[in-house]
Amino acid sequence: MQAYISGRNVNLTFRPPNRGPVRALQNFDIDIGEGEFLSIVGPSGCGKSTFLNVLLGLIKPDSGDIRMDGKPLAGPGTDRAMVFQEFGLLPWRTVQANVELGLELKGMSSDTRREVSQPLIEMIGLSGFEGHFPHELSGGMKQRVGLARALATDPNVLLMDEPFAALDAQTRDLMQVELLRIWQTAKKTVLFVTHQIEEAIYLSDRVMVMTKRPGRAKKIFKIDLPRPRDYEMRVTPEFNELKLQIWNELKDEITV
Amino acid sequence: MTDIRALEADIAQAADSGAPGRSAWYRLEPAILGTASIAVLLVLWEVLPRLITMSAGTKLFFTTPTQIAGTLWRLFATGTIWTPLGVSASGFALGLGLSIVVGLPLGVLIGRSRTLNAMLDPFITAFNATPRLVFLPLLMLWFGLGLEMKIVIVFIGALFPILINTYEGVRNADKTLINVVRSFGASEWDVARLVVVPNAMPYIVAGLRLAIGRAVLGVVVAEFFGSESGLGVMMVQAAGRYQVDVVFSGLIVFAALSLAMTAMVQVLESRLSRWRPQRAGGE
Repeated sequence: MQAYISGRNVNLTFRPPNRGPVRALQNFDIDIGEGEFLSIVGPSGCGKSTFLNVLLGLIKPDSGDIRMDGKPLAGPGTDRAMVFQEFGLLPWRTVQANVELGLELKGMSSDTRREVSQPLIEMIGLSGFEGHFPHELSGGMKQRVGLARALATDPNVLLMDEPFAALDAQTRDLMQVELLRIWQTAKKTVLFVTHQIEEAIYLSDRVMVMTKRPGRAKKIFKIDLPRPRDYEMRVTPEFNELKLQIWNELKDEITV
Repeated sequence: MTDIRALEADIAQAADSGAPGRSAWYRLEPAILGTASIAVLLVLWEVLPRLITMSAGTKLFFTTPTQIAGTLWRLFATGTIWTPLGVSASGFALGLGLSIVVGLPLGVLIGRSRTLNAMLDPFITAFNATPRLVFLPLLMLWFGLGLEMKIVIVFIGALFPILINTYEGVRNADKTLINVVRSFGASEWDVARLVVVPNAMPYIVAGLRLAIGRAVLGVVVAEFFGSESGLGVMMVQAAGRYQVDVVFSGLIVFAALSLAMTAMVQVLESRLSRWRPQRAGGE
């Protein structure tokens, strides 16, 4: 498999003022294929979200080689977009203006923006809510806006930082189904960070387990469940076997 | 058991029948009481001097609401008030405008840049700790007794509330939201425009409200202590001639201007906060 995104020997240490340095990533290696859905699970603070921010171009690693489509990564770009954990919607912007944020920053005219945002808002099932402000929406609706905003600039890579963590369990299940549907039609490369092993297995082609800080790739599991996935797969013996294996890798890394 | 049932029924009934009438009174009560107390005060003020016999000398220091109303009417009808009002209003508006034009961008800059903050902080702290009116003698020397001096005194009074509030609001900006717009390739200007300034808006409006008070104070003091013309000058001259009704007229015009400005800020505030969850009992 030709890696679409590759990271080699990525090292990153945070040096917060008034505190000691924190090694976030140490010799971190990763390969993600084009169109692949890869999840990362790992203990809290292991640097998985940090790596997403590195890929997004917001944080520069101290050393290491990160390539996308063969080219070294340089700063933020519209070929990548992030879906944020706490949604990251601008509270003073309507649903439509939030979805169009990236397009606006690309300098697109409002008519063109509308042509892009309208079908997306329809796709996420929020037609009629274009003029609503985020505080008027439920958590699930907010995250669908976050997803639509990330898709609006038509990126090749979707980075998702525990996107469903702030949602209740039922909404989360529905959002997972929705995400898979969108991923299958839009054919994006997805890097998905989560704490939930079940969620990672259900969604992914492969699941990476990370060590505790400083984070390295510990083990990668290939998920051979057929696609399209459905909810019943979650109760199959294979699914539970995977869940157990991943948990066994992960539990040594977790300190309470 | 039956006791509790009966009690519950009683409470429900009381709540049912009492609620609508009570809520209408509850809503209007403050307005009615407020208007009534003003009315009572005005009537007392009007009637009492007629009941008490005062010497001609004492009478010189007093006036009545009807007299003030008459004088106000005359001042506007004959046009005598327009020139001083215009001078005061221009000093106020230009000084306040300048303080917004300078204070807002400067507050954003020092809020975003550690370097600028470190460089300017000593000046801002020192200036802010000093009552701005102590600069008045200097400003009179440097800028004379005309409009320029008034603009400068209003400016330095109104600048700091706006500057400091903007700074606080900017420091308070949500880091995640800044990352969101950055991830779409936003420049520092875009970050300020799309996240930092909207986020700081409640602080800025609160600063503006303070600044208006300081600006009015600046106009009044400048005109009391040395100006060629203005509402304050009109009041001081009238006081020298024992024209108490004219003094009160000036006072009322100043109060009306302040109230009008505060009302404008409130309109601005509610327009700017349409995106916020409505507080219970809000509009």
